[in-house]
Amino acid sequence: MSMIQDLNNEEVEMEMTPMIDVTFLLLIFFMVTLKFKTLEGKLSAYLPKDVGVNSTEAEPIEKVEVLVRVRVEGRKVTPDGLPYVDETGKSRFVWNRDPALGEVRVLEYSVMNKKTNDIKELAQTLKRIFREREKLMPDGKKVPATIDPRFGTVYGDVVPVLDAAIDAGLTDITFVGAYDETVK
Amino acid sequence: MNISSSDPETEMEMDMTPMIDVVFLLIIFFMIITDMSQKDLEELELPIAAKATEDKPDPNENRPILNIPHTGVIIVRREPLYNPELDDGKPEPYAEVKRYLSTAAEMMPQEPLAEGSSVMLPDDPLLVRADESTLFKHIQKVLELCGQEGIQIWKVQLAVSVPEDDDEN
Repeated sequence: MSMIQDLNNEEVEMEMTPMIDVTFLLLIFFMVTLKFKTLEGKLSAYLPKDVGVNSTEAEPIEKVEVLVRVRVEGRKVTPDGLPYVDETGKSRFVWNRDPALGEVRVLEYSVMNKKTNDIKELAQTLKRIFREREKLMPDGKKVPATIDPRFGTVYGDVVPVLDAAIDAGLTDITFVGAYDETVK
Repeated sequence: MNISSSDPETEMEMDMTPMIDVVFLLIIFFMIITDMSQKDLEELELPIAAKATEDKPDPNENRPILNIPHTGVIIVRREPLYNPELDDGKPEPYAEVKRYLSTAAEMMPQEPLAEGSSVMLPDDPLLVRADESTLFKHIQKVLELCGQEGIQIWKVQLAVSVPEDDDEN
């Protein structure tokens, strides 16, 4: 009883506990919803500069052209590598590139009439071509390259090619305009 | 219990004020961070590239960002500007994307096409972010739009994830 009397005599103190509860809840909410921004990279490419304007100089240099075709589509898997079951096609999927998960996506890369299904082989070829071409280029000129992805190719098919080209030293990379649905 | 209730010293209350200050600061921090990081970037399954350069946005740069998930929808700042499912029937389905790109191009610093050329081209890049399984034709359509008159953006960056992210998955 003496304690209650003590309290009554004291100044009225604000009850902090509910506020702290709410504040902590808010804090936890924001911490959980925060999607940690994963470090993202970028690959730079260039589009033809002179579209729609008169080019002042002729382009005598032959470009290194890489054709990308889909040979086997492969199966769809979820980004975590599980079988893809969604029939609506709305949820996210990737094309299988891991032999352990079943049918793999097979692409055909052709550059200078040399065809391969192996991205590493393409990278080697591009490196060799770059070394040959580099000597022929006038000073300060970059070896130009073009990537021509054909029907059915996805973003994930094109990025490794761009990656390999940049790795080979080809920095002036352009993309061929929209593909014709009928040309395979 | 008896001892504690009779001992006046143990009744000392913890001072909450500094803790509340810190907690409020943390809340404000998280609020601002969540707002900033999620405005432009959609959650996408980016392909991995070994030769990617780290993407540090330059504050002086006026870089438009297009997000293209695997459905082919083009999203800018959470707003879908083009939806392939609603494509047919409209005379110009890409009109909104075009409008966005041309306004973005206008805000960029202009550089001459070549030395001494009177043709001016926007000098900032466009960032394209797409799912690994996004058909490349959707991206190619965007690149085609970039070349059109009034836009003429010629620098393109493709968003990829860097190999370090591998360990996470």
